Amino acid sequence: MAYNKPIPDPDPYTTQPFWDGAKAGKLMLPRCTNCNQAHFYPRMICPHCYSRQIEWFEASGEGWIHTFAVQHRAFGGWADDVPFVTAYIDLKEGDRMFTVLRGVDATKPESIKIGAAVKIEFEEASETVSIPFWRVV
Amino acid sequence: MPSNPSMAAAIVGAAESDKIGYIEEGTTDQILHIQAISNVCAQVGIRPSEIEGIFSVGYSTNIAEYLGLHPKYIDTTGVGGCSFQMHVHHALAAINAGIIDIAVVSHGESGYSGGRKNRGRGRNRGAGGGDPWQPSAMFDGPYGTSGPPSYYSHAYSRYLHQYGARQEDFAQIAVTTRDWAGLNPRAVMHSKETNPYGGKITVDDVMNSRVISWPLKLLDCCLVTDHGGAVIVASAERARSFKTKPVWIAGAGENMSHQNMLEMGDFTRTSAPESSATAYKMAGMGPGEMEMAMIYDSFTVTAGITAEMLGLTKRGEGPSLWEGGKAGPGGSGIPVNTNGGGLSFSHSGMYGMMLLIEAYRQLSGTAEDGVNGLPGKQTSAKTAIVNGTGGLLSVTGTLVLASDD
Repeated sequence: MAYNKPIPDPDPYTTQPFWDGAKAGKLMLPRCTNCNQAHFYPRMICPHCYSRQIEWFEASGEGWIHTFAVQHRAFGGWADDVPFVTAYIDLKEGDRMFTVLRGVDATKPESIKIGAAVKIEFEEASETVSIPFWRVV
Repeated sequence: MPSNPSMAAAIVGAAESDKIGYIEEGTTDQILHIQAISNVCAQVGIRPSEIEGIFSVGYSTNIAEYLGLHPKYIDTTGVGGCSFQMHVHHALAAINAGIIDIAVVSHGESGYSGGRKNRGRGRNRGAGGGDPWQPSAMFDGPYGTSGPPSYYSHAYSRYLHQYGARQEDFAQIAVTTRDWAGLNPRAVMHSKETNPYGGKITVDDVMNSRVISWPLKLLDCCLVTDHGGAVIVASAERARSFKTKPVWIAGAGENMSHQNMLEMGDFTRTSAPESSATAYKMAGMGPGEMEMAMIYDSFTVTAGITAEMLGLTKRGEGPSLWEGGKAGPGGSGIPVNTNGGGLSFSHSGMYGMMLLIEAYRQLSGTAEDGVNGLPGKQTSAKTAIVNGTGGLLSVTGTLVLASDD
């Protein structure tokens, strides 16, 4: 079945390597070559030291649940999936990503543990865009 | 030389649109703005043409044109529900600088009527909307969120985890706030007569209400209504010349932590410690001297966290301000959200104006005058802390207000 949920429209100026990576099943993150810190969301300037020397590297795709919620109300394609769990993920390399969390029981929020380890996976949403999701390991 | 703007200006009147709440015949933002300005000018005893500065969320030129004004100061700060605390801050600064003497801060938002008019047009809701290249559209948009509750719940969840708090502690905030609404005949949830779901509620009612975005349940969430309101801010000299009483702007501050929740470093914290520190310092007062509080309650968790951000409780104990109903009618603590709050009075999407109006009414001692049929005096407080929280727990504006004697 065709992917029926919102598909991002990647911005070629600051995020193309991220989406190219996603298409190839890799988590690519921006990192400043001046202060060596990674950041997310991708920026044209380092939010830590304001250098504009940004490189991309393949991250581990590992992280932990920072916090989560269970969505019981949604629109569009997501409406069919309620309840589902959304979460902010602390990345092993630093900073954070947002996701719909997989491998959890949305009907039992008390069973979902903040701090639990998660791993990234990618779902092909269109010919050009694959979307990252995180799964509890 | 810059001078401390504390008390350089006062709020001298506060009024609402002719109707508020669920306006079944429909309304517009413009109607709500203009009714409120007309009402507050009548209350203060000025003509709209005397207004020199206009402060609103993006609507100032519409207001000025409609009333035929040519204001010397135009501010359209729109950073969510706390914008109105900032408008007062900015008006204070403009008055202190000698640029203007009389300002209006105005609000008109048909959150209910507008939503009905646009029903069915939101097919792409949750996709982020707006510019598809904004970070929120690219990195939140794909994941099924659906407006503020779907984000705030993540902060609530983290708070419960970090401090071992119980959902029942936050539910008490909704219960106490509903108790205040029971004393306010204009509150949407005043009683079964004003709304089928109105009247007193219990902690169990909150806990058993429909889950919207766990751990947020329906009764943890604010209303979405139509509401207009306006306050007049005047220089110290002019403030004493009106028929209404001045409520002095003793302190004001603003700050922010993030725009996208992705950038919210600590999910149990807003920028209110910073915005309130600025306001307390300007006022030369501290949290222990605040005799009432108007705390933005978009959700129970917003109010609970903010209580500790303002120094009204210890860190990790925000909901204790409401414990056992002590912030409610006849309670042993300071009165909080005496109008019934965004949870049970009225909340049109941006609630900051309602905080201002209620603080003015209680501190000015004019609450019993029944302006627009509003509720009576609930406290004899002479000082108030007023804190707005906007966006996704993103931005805060804090005011310390004080009445004469």
